[in-house]
Amino acid sequence: MSLSIQELLENKGIPVKKDHVESLQVKWEGIQALRGSLEGVNIDDADISLKNIPGGDHIDE
Amino acid sequence: MNDLILKSVDELAPLIKNKTLSPVELTKAVLDHAEKSQDKINSYMAFYREEAVEAAKKAEQEIVQGNYRGMYHGMPIALKDNLYFKDKVTTMSSKIHKDFVSDYDATVVRKLREAGVIFTGKLSMHEYAWGITNNNPHYGPVRNPWNLDKIPGGSSGGSGAAVAVGASIASLGTDTAGSIRIPSSACGIVGLKPTHGRVSKYGCYPLAWSLDHIGPMTKTVKDAAGMLEIISGYDRNDPTSVNVAIDNYLGQVTGDVKDLVIGVNEDYFFNEVDEDINKLVRASIQKLVDQGAKVETVKIPTLQHSEWAELVTSLSEASAIHHSDLMNRPDDFGDDIRFLFELGELPSAVDYLQAQQVRRQLKQEFNDVFEKVDVLISPTLPIIAPTIGENFADLNGKKVDLIDNIIRFTGPGNLTGLPALSVPCGFKGDMPVGLQIMGPAFSEGRVLNVGYAIEQTQPLKGRKPLIFTNA
Repeated sequence: MSLSIQELLENKGIPVKKDHVESLQVKWEGIQALRGSLEGVNIDDADISLKNIPGGDHIDE
Repeated sequence: MNDLILKSVDELAPLIKNKTLSPVELTKAVLDHAEKSQDKINSYMAFYREEAVEAAKKAEQEIVQGNYRGMYHGMPIALKDNLYFKDKVTTMSSKIHKDFVSDYDATVVRKLREAGVIFTGKLSMHEYAWGITNNNPHYGPVRNPWNLDKIPGGSSGGSGAAVAVGASIASLGTDTAGSIRIPSSACGIVGLKPTHGRVSKYGCYPLAWSLDHIGPMTKTVKDAAGMLEIISGYDRNDPTSVNVAIDNYLGQVTGDVKDLVIGVNEDYFFNEVDEDINKLVRASIQKLVDQGAKVETVKIPTLQHSEWAELVTSLSEASAIHHSDLMNRPDDFGDDIRFLFELGELPSAVDYLQAQQVRRQLKQEFNDVFEKVDVLISPTLPIIAPTIGENFADLNGKKVDLIDNIIRFTGPGNLTGLPALSVPCGFKGDMPVGLQIMGPAFSEGRVLNVGYAIEQTQPLKGRKPLIFTNA
């Protein structure tokens, strides 16, 4: 079962403005089309760029 | 109109230093003009006249006593209204934060205050910085001084318009997808997005944490270099701040481009560009070549995914910040940003993380390119700023989506965090056109120097915004 964008947002507790629903659908489809297959991007085996730095954000020398 | 307001910091500073110009006279001239032009431009959110004049008197006294602090001492400047001033309202040009008062100065505010800057007020912006038109539903549109029917760009549109019109001698903007460079290009001024981590963001209301930057918006490249020297530096209060030594940026601005290698990426940065903008940017590159620079064509394949990565990252981070207000008081947002916050709830965690992988690969490709070339040059924007209220722009006779297109060339600078400068390179009709210079991480001095070389070719030909000729 696929949920509509309105249902998806309302399930998160977000009241969707009625006249946004159609444009949200169009824009979201546009973003997914832009994503494509991410061909050429090293998604699977490259280490993620988010960092986990022990000791906090700033390490003093 | 007092001619002082048209001068750059670089021109005014020696006059203040040698005591032939009083900071009080300059501050009053700027405030008089800012208040007078407010009806037409609407760049200010708040004026600080009384405090500004008092601060200017104090600056004057210090200078008379021989305690000159440097280039920005006594300069009347207003800042974007998402930078916190202690005990002052900071609205983000929003309804929700209309009464928000910070109990501390943003780091950049503190640094400018210590450099002797006189704060004349706060400047309008696109609500919460989440847009590029500055057509604000709560406080009215900011108008472009070159053509009052056009947008000034955004989100730092108040800063762009105020500097262009002389209502602030210089300013700061914030940039998440182009919000310094877009209004700088549209308003015919200089705008620098520094390397991520170079300038502390502490005390700046966020739009998207990993993409946000603060940087100078000024009349000239030297003014930007001087301001960057003041606001740069490590700050423990900002988790993204990087502990790298501050350069002598002004000292690097010589205009010497002999043997400079300019990278040109045709596939992305010159694809789908307004024909006149394309010609102006290529003509500027040729002028650098005439001075001894060389051009190399470069490939950056992952740029094809950068628009997606920019959208997913900025939408997700912005919606995370405003999630609670979107649930509890959505009607208090302007309609355009409420739409974007709703949209930002849709990407999955997988989408977000894959977008970060795209960023990682993109950074690597830029790094590889900067092993071969010194800078990359492109148009700042592929289009000319449209009429206020329009969501579309003209691209060689085609109607295209405004937001998607206006951030196409600026977004990669935010994704990679690399320094990017917009400088004027000419006009299309009555509207200025900007050129973007990107460089390796922490190469602001080099990027500014190339910008200065272009500035020296006089691309604005001494033209002034319409508001002056029609005053």
